[in-house]
Amino acid sequence: MQYGMIIDLERCVGCHACTIACKAEWEVPIEFNRNWVYRMGPSLVDQEMASTYYPGLCNHCQEPVCVEECPADTVEMTFTHAKTGETTSMEVAATWKDPFDGTVQIDKSRCIGCGACVDACPYNARYVNPDQIDDVSDDGKADKCTYCKPRVDAGQLPACVQTCITGARIFGDLDDPQSEVSKYVKKGAVGIDVIGGDLGPNSRYYGKKKDMALLMSTQTPELADLGLIRRRAMLASLVKPAMKKARGLGLLGLVGALAVKGLADDNSHE
Amino acid sequence: MAFKLTRRNFLQSASLAAVALPLSDVIASETGIEASPFEPKGTVKDETVVGGVCEMCFWRCQLVGKKRGDRLVKLEGNPKSIDNGSSICARGNAGVQLLYDPDRLKYPLKNVGERGKPKWKRISWEEALDECGSKLKGIEEKYGPQGICMFPHGSSAKYPMHFFERTVGTHNVSEASFFQCRGIRDTAYVATIGMAPGEFVDMPNAKVIFLLGSHIGENIHVSHVKRYIKGLQNGAKLIVVDPRYSAAAAKSDIWVKIKPGTDTAFLLAIMNYMIANDKYNADFVEEYGDGFDEFKAGITDWTLEKAAKECEIPAEQIKEVAELLAASAPSVSIHPGRHVSWYGNDFQRQRALACLTGVLGAFFVKGGWVPAKNPKVGKMSWAKKDHGDEHNLNIDEEEELRFPFSPPGTPTELIRDTALSGKPYPIKGCVIWGQNPIQTIPGQEKMKDVLRQMDFVMCVDVMPTDITMWADILLPESSYLERYDLIKTGTQWDFADSQQQFIAPRIPLVEPMFERKDQVYITNEIAKRMGYAKDIPVNSNLEMVEKNLAEVGLSLDQIIKEGGIHVQKGENPYSMPEDFEVVFYNEDIEDAGFPGIPTYQPVEQPPKGFARLLYGRVPVHTFNRTQNNVWLNKAMPDNPVWINDEIAKTLGLQDGDVVGFINQDGIKSRTTTTIKTTPGIRKDSVYMAHGYGSANPLMSIGVNAGVDDTSLMSKITIDPETGAHGMRNNFIQLIKDDKILAIPASV
Repeated sequence: MQYGMIIDLERCVGCHACTIACKAEWEVPIEFNRNWVYRMGPSLVDQEMASTYYPGLCNHCQEPVCVEECPADTVEMTFTHAKTGETTSMEVAATWKDPFDGTVQIDKSRCIGCGACVDACPYNARYVNPDQIDDVSDDGKADKCTYCKPRVDAGQLPACVQTCITGARIFGDLDDPQSEVSKYVKKGAVGIDVIGGDLGPNSRYYGKKKDMALLMSTQTPELADLGLIRRRAMLASLVKPAMKKARGLGLLGLVGALAVKGLADDNSHE
Repeated sequence: MAFKLTRRNFLQSASLAAVALPLSDVIASETGIEASPFEPKGTVKDETVVGGVCEMCFWRCQLVGKKRGDRLVKLEGNPKSIDNGSSICARGNAGVQLLYDPDRLKYPLKNVGERGKPKWKRISWEEALDECGSKLKGIEEKYGPQGICMFPHGSSAKYPMHFFERTVGTHNVSEASFFQCRGIRDTAYVATIGMAPGEFVDMPNAKVIFLLGSHIGENIHVSHVKRYIKGLQNGAKLIVVDPRYSAAAAKSDIWVKIKPGTDTAFLLAIMNYMIANDKYNADFVEEYGDGFDEFKAGITDWTLEKAAKECEIPAEQIKEVAELLAASAPSVSIHPGRHVSWYGNDFQRQRALACLTGVLGAFFVKGGWVPAKNPKVGKMSWAKKDHGDEHNLNIDEEEELRFPFSPPGTPTELIRDTALSGKPYPIKGCVIWGQNPIQTIPGQEKMKDVLRQMDFVMCVDVMPTDITMWADILLPESSYLERYDLIKTGTQWDFADSQQQFIAPRIPLVEPMFERKDQVYITNEIAKRMGYAKDIPVNSNLEMVEKNLAEVGLSLDQIIKEGGIHVQKGENPYSMPEDFEVVFYNEDIEDAGFPGIPTYQPVEQPPKGFARLLYGRVPVHTFNRTQNNVWLNKAMPDNPVWINDEIAKTLGLQDGDVVGFINQDGIKSRTTTTIKTTPGIRKDSVYMAHGYGSANPLMSIGVNAGVDDTSLMSKITIDPETGAHGMRNNFIQLIKDDKILAIPASV
């Protein structure tokens, strides 16, 4: 399974419902976005007037550069298929590509907030969320679109897809040839490929030729300078785990755990 | 809080204590993603409350709320809705930020400073209502009911408007939705087909969609956009007539880059071409047309070439449009528009649009103009009383109507001129309810003078908009999420689906906070203090809604059980009323002294060195109303001015340059905005989104964000048939680094 999203620019009217629904659903800080809508044009594309939108979000890439750059210690993690219950284990840092649904996710508790993944993402899909501070990172935590994994695993649509007023956002399994998203791929929906890389973006765009040309010519990014990012990430990984170990010593204990559970309950029911 | 709890260390700590605990609440997901206490949980598990009806704009989508305890965390489209469905727009989604906006009005306030430069003192409701009641009563006794004028807007303003109009008895009510927006459209269509047209075009089933200035996409009404996109997906060709390459033009098959103000010439040429070449719907015209021969004879001047010259577009393109419309008739959606207060020649243009629809036979047919057959509900309000026409400013000394095709109420300029001159009578009391006349009505300084000469000004609003700075008493209203209110009715949006109707009363999703009150409470309390207690029709918003539902055998309890919306079987929308006719030549209009055949009237052109100021909308704002919404502000923080790229080049302007404006009367913009250069606008015009540039410092997010286009509209144009405003006859130059930049000669 590989979740993917199609943005049909023939349907998109650039209304921003998607970006605001996301803000509400995920309490995204005012100054950041997990998704965005840029308007391009009107400008001339091959002597023809054109104007369209770039509704962007995490591409949940086939080969996510952000995942590679995470300097956090790896742990073995068990993943469960949301539908079949099948499990598998793998070594992951604080961000990974889910082996079952192909989404790229972040473990906020282990993220050291160094921003390496943020810098590595050529699409600017990640940011460090300053509202998410703990004793591992007082800078905040890497944050981004999850394809609304908690909603999707609960059988709902991503918030942006649900609210889209024209059905311009279509979500589904790209590995299923019968899915709506696969049909769009057959019709020609493409991701925005990076100059100098082959990341395999799974958020894809479909539109009129001139609109696609405008999108690609204005929004195709270059691969980031990973050397620089790695040096910074290495430094961060040397400093931050010391804090993390200090935290590890102060185990919460059962009472603490119950207290936290109580807090969680307060927030999730009624 | 720096608590950390992961699945791993939870298991560690739990096993240390050798106690098993249920993990389900701690582990957010079965797929191994670990709950982190500070991570937002999303709304999947939040309580869903039904009955919301949006009013971030006036389309009124049906909502559900997601609640966490008492707090509303998110709004979504009501999945039961056959109108907007689960979708809501950016503004709808941002409703929670209006609800909890810290800048919202919280308590009754008294202005102890001066109007326009207020100093606010918090007072009790008792004191505030006493002051409003006694001041308004005093004005009524001294000057008569006509001494009170009212500027209402929005669903909560209907009830107080009816009180002042029907019970107190003033004609002097100016609704922005009529006199600065769609009133001309409504009365022009009434004069042609006997009905106001709404935006009732069956776009999903059309072969051609024809938009004259409508920029769907920048203007968002959810189910309307659904119809539009469905039509395009179904293969409709799109014709967009606009001086600017709008969001709609970007989806068009034909973009007609028309010269501003010349639309009627364009429409007449299309009709003349179709009639002359026998490409019109003769059968329809024969059966339903009235005055067609006079009409036909009256527009023969309008050759393609003549219109091409006037509109500055190729004759070939007018022909192409005419041919496409004719070939696709009658399944063509000739959109009547919505905001049509453009140039002061608008009644004739709207008549021409209605006639074009008739020439194509595109009324009550698949893909044409087809009004939804909505269900009825009660309309409980103040009883109508006859107050005579003695003080009706729209009736002159000879008992003739000054503006015979005025929409309901009194034309704004008649009220303002009377207030300023005191003739034929003084207007000394002003009630403003949900409207922001400072940023709605052209002639901002005139509006301020009108307010200065009042004995008493009161405002009721949710936000401290610019007009509230002019109030003596400012009352905080509960928002659309906190009150019972209007009942939204409608049908499913695609007439190709089985016919259904819906009834959706506005039910509060949360309790009002602070001391906010709803319109029935405020109006009734003022009415009691003015001696009208015996006329009060209902005692609460809740009672009003219950009574309106009871008239059709429904109740709130039942509707809540049904998920907030009552859905019932609908009627065939395509069946035409028996007496339907299209009045091509209208004798009544001619008798009133205006052209009875739709006639093109040229508008004033920009003086040398100036460009025409065009304005429009962005999808994240409803005029000025949403400007302080922090999410929406961030989405589009200012209103860049569109300027033709070649003109920009000669002026040395680049994208992002910061500019201000000066208009033909020397009025300067108070604030600045940025430049957007594009080939997608004519050289003689600039464009910006309307509603930006609030002046009230209490709007901490919206204040000084972008430029207030209304502030640059000092020249007031009146549409002669209707008395409504034309707002696109102001001309500007740019100011950069304190230097005025003259716009080079066009074309």
